[in-house]
Formats: sequence, C-alpha cells, structure tokens
Amino acid sequence: MSASLAPPPAGTARQPPLDTRYPVETPEGIDLALHPAGLVPRALAFAVDLAIRGLLLLLTFLALGQFGELGMGLTSLLVFLVTWWYMVLFEVLNQGRSPGKQVLGLQVLHDDGTPVGWAASLTRNLLRVVDLLPFGYSLGILSCLAHPTFKRLGDLAAGTLVVYRERPSSHPALPEVAAQPAPFALQADERRALLAFAERQSTLSAGRRRELAGILAGPLQVPEEQAEARLLGIARELLGPT
Amino acid sequence: MRPTDSVAVLRPRSPWEAMDLGVLLARRHAGLLMLAWALPALPLLALLSLLLWESPGWVLLIFWWLKPLGERLPLFILSRALFGATPRLGESLRALPGLLRAEWLASLTRRRFNPARSFDLPVLLLEGVAGQELQQRRATLAAGSGKRGAGWLTLVGLHLELALWLGLLAFLYLLLPAPASADLDWQRLLDGTPEEWLWLEHLTNGLYALVLMVWEPLYVACGFGLYLNRRMHLEAWDLEVAFHRLRRRLSGAAGILLLAAGLVLALPDAALAQPSAPQPPPALDRQAARADIQALLGQAPFHRREETLRWRFGEPAQPSIGARPFDAVGLARRLAGALEILLWATVGAGAALLAWRYRDWLTAFAGRVAPSVRRPPPLPAAHSVPRSEPPALPADIAAEAERLWADAPDQALALLYHGLLERLREDYRLPLSEADTEGEVLHRVRRLEQIELQRLAETLTLHWQNLAYGRQPPPAELKEPLLAAWRRQFGVGRTP
Repeated sequence: MSASLAPPPAGTARQPPLDTRYPVETPEGIDLALHPAGLVPRALAFAVDLAIRGLLLLLTFLALGQFGELGMGLTSLLVFLVTWWYMVLFEVLNQGRSPGKQVLGLQVLHDDGTPVGWAASLTRNLLRVVDLLPFGYSLGILSCLAHPTFKRLGDLAAGTLVVYRERPSSHPALPEVAAQPAPFALQADERRALLAFAERQSTLSAGRRRELAGILAGPLQVPEEQAEARLLGIARELLGPT
Repeated sequence: MRPTDSVAVLRPRSPWEAMDLGVLLARRHAGLLMLAWALPALPLLALLSLLLWESPGWVLLIFWWLKPLGERLPLFILSRALFGATPRLGESLRALPGLLRAEWLASLTRRRFNPARSFDLPVLLLEGVAGQELQQRRATLAAGSGKRGAGWLTLVGLHLELALWLGLLAFLYLLLPAPASADLDWQRLLDGTPEEWLWLEHLTNGLYALVLMVWEPLYVACGFGLYLNRRMHLEAWDLEVAFHRLRRRLSGAAGILLLAAGLVLALPDAALAQPSAPQPPPALDRQAARADIQALLGQAPFHRREETLRWRFGEPAQPSIGARPFDAVGLARRLAGALEILLWATVGAGAALLAWRYRDWLTAFAGRVAPSVRRPPPLPAAHSVPRSEPPALPADIAAEAERLWADAPDQALALLYHGLLERLREDYRLPLSEADTEGEVLHRVRRLEQIELQRLAETLTLHWQNLAYGRQPPPAELKEPLLAAWRRQFGVGRTP
C-alpha cells in the first residue's frame, strides 16, 4: 500500500461525535431518536426477571408437588412455559416489556423502531441458548459490550434493539418575568438552549448561571450582571403566552 | 479542558445512559486502554506468582485487593480522550507514578469497599483538590441522587467478572480432548491442590487478569460517564457550548446585527409581546361528526351481519350432583384425562395441518395417482352482499319509462338505470355488488367489449350522475334515442 493511502494519524482523524442516540427515519420522513440501552440496566432487568421466574416455579413446585404424577406433569408443562415463553409472551403482548424491563424502563423494538413481533421475539429469546455459552451469558456480555448499539447475539439475529422507553418529560415552570423580544434571529437549537437555560435554573448555582449568561452579554449589548435576567425574559417570550 | 472540545455529544442524560456513553468512549480507545491496564498489572501478577508460588490463593487476593490502583491509568486516558487529546501509551505510562500517589492508602483500605468507587475516583484524580476540600466536593457531587447508578454498576460488575471468568474456564475445559477431561479427579482438586497442579491455579489467576483487562477499562469508563453526567447536570456544559456557538455566529454578522438590534429595541416591547388573535371555533361540531361517522359505519357495506345456525349436543339432565362427596382424586384424574386428550388433539391437528400445508408436495412425490387437473376457480358470487329489498321492476321497463318521462323524467331515468343494472347482473352475469360505484360498473361493462351496450351504459350513467349528484334533469331530446337504444339492446319484455 502506498503512503498516501495510509490512514491519517489518530489525532487528525475526524470521527463522528459520540452519542447514545440511534436515529431512525420512518417512511414518512420523520426522524426518531431511539436510545439503546447498555449492559448494566439490561443485566439488572434480567436479574429481576430471573427472580420472578424462580419465585413462580418455586411456588408451583410447592403447590403442585402434592398431586403426585399429575402434579409433576403439570409442573413440567409450566416449567416449559416459563422457560421458553415467559419473555416472548411478555415482549409481544406487553409492548416489548417483560416485568424486569418494565421496572428498569426498557423496551424491545425492531431495528426500525416498530413494535417487536412474534418472529423477532422468538428468535432473540431462543438464541439466549447461544448467548449463554459457555457459562453465564459470557458471549452475550461480550457482544453487548462490543456492539455500538449494545446488541447481544440474539438481538443481532432477530434484528431487535433494546431501548429506554420514552417517558413523558415534565417541563419545569419558567421563572415569572416579563417577556422580552430577542434582539436577534434565533435558530431552533439556539431557542432550545435558551429555554433549557430558563428551565434548569433550579439545578444550576447562582454563580454558574451568571457565568453562562455572561457568554451572551456581548451580543445582547447589556452589562454582564443583567444578561441573566435578559435571557430569562427572552426565554419567556419564546415560550409564548401560557 | 473546554466543553467545546468534547468528542461526545454533551447533554444531560439518565444515569444508565451516562454509563452507556462511557462504554462507547471506551470502545473507541479499547486497544490503548487495555494495554495501559495490562502493562503494569500483568507483570505485577507474574511477580506475585513467582514470590508466592506455593499459595496461589494469596496471589489472587492481593491482586484483587490492588484493583483500585489499576483503575487510575485508564481514567487518565479517558479524561484526555474525551476532549480530543488522547495521550500515547508512553506518555500515559510516564504519568502513572504521579497518578498512583494520590490517596493511595485510603483507596486500598477505607475506600476499598466503597460501592461508588468508580464515581469518586474522577473527583480525586481530575479535580486536583485534596483534604477538606475533596470531602466537600465529593459531598456536593453526591448530594441528592447524584451517585445514582454507581452502586448498581459495581454490583453488576462483580457478577460480570465472575461470569466471564467462569465462562473462560468452561471454554478451556470444553477444548480439552475427551481422555484428558475424563482423567480429571474433581474430588482430589477440591480437597487440596497437590504440588503438580499449582500451575493450574496460577493459570486460573491469569485468566482472571485477562477478564479484568477487558472489564476494568469499561468499569472505569462507566464511572467516568456517571461523573461527567453529574457535572453536566450541575454545570450545564451543553448550554455553555450552545451559547458559545451562538455568540460566534452572531459576532460573524456583527455589523448587520447592530442595526437590526437597534431597530428591534426601538419598537415598544408590548407590540411584540401581543398574543396572537384567537382562532375561530371549528364549524362542525366534533360530537355530531363522530355520531354521523358511527351511523354510517353501521350500515352496509361497512357493516355485515350474518346468522349461522348449527346443531349441537343438548345438556342431559344432571342427576343429583350435590349428593356425591367431592372426589379430588377422581377429579384430578379426569382433569389429567382431558389434558391428555387436548394434547393428543393438538398433535393430531398439527399433523393434519402439516399434511394440508404440503399437500401439493405429497401428491407430487408421495401419491400414486397423477396430480389432478387444476379445477377452475369458482364463479364469483354475484349476490354475495345482502341487499336491501329493491322495488319491483315493471315487466316492460322501456314502456314504463316512456310513461313516466312526461311528468317525472328523473324517475324515468332512475328506473332505466336500475333496469340496466338488473340486466347486467342477470343477462351478462356481471358480479356487481352494493359497494360498486357507477364508474366501476362502467368499467366492467367496457370489459364486455360490446359497443352498443357500452354506448348505452355510458349515456345512461352520464345522465344518471348528472341527475343524482348535480340535480340536472335529463334533457327532453334524450328521451327518444335512449329508449330506442334500450329496446334495441334488451327487447321489450323481461327475459325469463
């Protein structure tokens, strides 16, 4: 290979910024941002599910153990059901959420953001057998850590994605100040930043607020002490009458 | 360090997502991080093993105890890599002695079992504070639910190390050829390690080190992500970046802006803060519209009603069921019998389904007779849709229409159109249904390729549509040619 084809040194290579978003474009041209879930919450969700299943089977053993052979038969049927169908039934019938995933706020989707179906859910759960190998989900763990959207092998085969469920976000109330017009045209992301500045007042310290507002004192043509009040007024204006 | 240099998208995240960001950051520099962890740690393990060859358990314990010190170098690399200044391996190793000095005793004793270790380490190493100030800083960051997730991370990490370690051992065991694994005497191994098996325990220790080489950088990265996210919440780095970008954009167009700003500021604020005029209320009442839609959907052809009658077994009279004592075993046996029948029925149905699914294959390859000629598809059911009772048609439609035309030409046209549909259905066997539109009927007529009929149908449909949708009565001069064409086409009376 000639020298000119060699990759540029690591420092100069321009890589896309790291983010935990997974953008999906729907056929209607709408951009959705999914948030794939990593190993730690998924492991915890699995632990919760494991505990629930264990408890369920234990109770069944205790209850049906007294019925002799019939009890054993019923128990083995239930063991089959719980082992192979617990995840599938919950995922397909409960919007991609087994009880553990529900506790952790996770959800299984197809890669394109559509709700998970029977085929995909069966594939990803039957392939747990592969992820289990050689012991304690070793392959699944490694695959999950190495994949950019944290898929284990079952997810890769089924084309599914585990994401954080969207929660309705509650926007805190803006401080009550008089609305002021912005002295310059604002783009969408800049408007969002100004609104976020006003909404996150309570989590920021007074000094930090003044410092942040001071960045924009120049363009606003106000002294640095008044920049914060001015920004809040602009945010109020952006929010519109409520 | 400036937030504007960050290679990651800065945004307040949930603790879980913050860990995911850490994993992504570590993935990008995986090779460097693993090397930086392994280069000091593996020689240390080798040294320990040589010194304490007789007691591999102690080697493992000491190595495990020293783990927090090994987390410092990956953190140093990650913190630089986040802002685009990834150090080279040599630089990192040179920085190691300085990193190890800070609070080394506390992190091996008092803080060794702190579950939020990964979250506290960045405070110590990256903020450069010590003593009272450090304690204060830790408390500030942990205030509220600041450390949320760090404990879970450590707990999951613990199990993950174990799973990967045992997984690696199981993998190696699976690779052993059968005679070798058959000779293993587990009992003897568990009782106490004989002299010649010591190397196996040291090998196990080495495998643990390999697992740590993968996991430790990720653990540190997850903790770093949590720490970063906490500061993002407290200090709003994302807003800092956004504001800086806004200022840069505005200062580029400063001249124009000055003018515009002056103009805008000159206007009274009240004029701009006016709320927009209220919208006029919608004309159609939502409730009424919904009721309309519901009523429409209840009618044909959107709604279809069927009545099915079938035979079933009657209930035999139960002779005094209360008198018998409750028979649990019998009931259970019957339950089991029913279950067995159910299961066998399922098996049978599955077999039948399979046979039906592959019937073509079976006739082609397993049958003795040649595959039968494909049957023609059944005729489409012309009258499949139940229709409301139509008014009876007169025997001589043309004569009746001629009579009606004088005082009610619209009724005459309606009669003719109705008659046309009946004829199409009966004489030409067109599968018309209630839901067909006039256009669809015409389309089917065109497919018959009969010029006369087609012309008649087109004329009739055109005027019928004008009447039905446009309230335009048919012109008087239409009467004669239309009736003539009708008689030519369908004759006088009704065909039997």
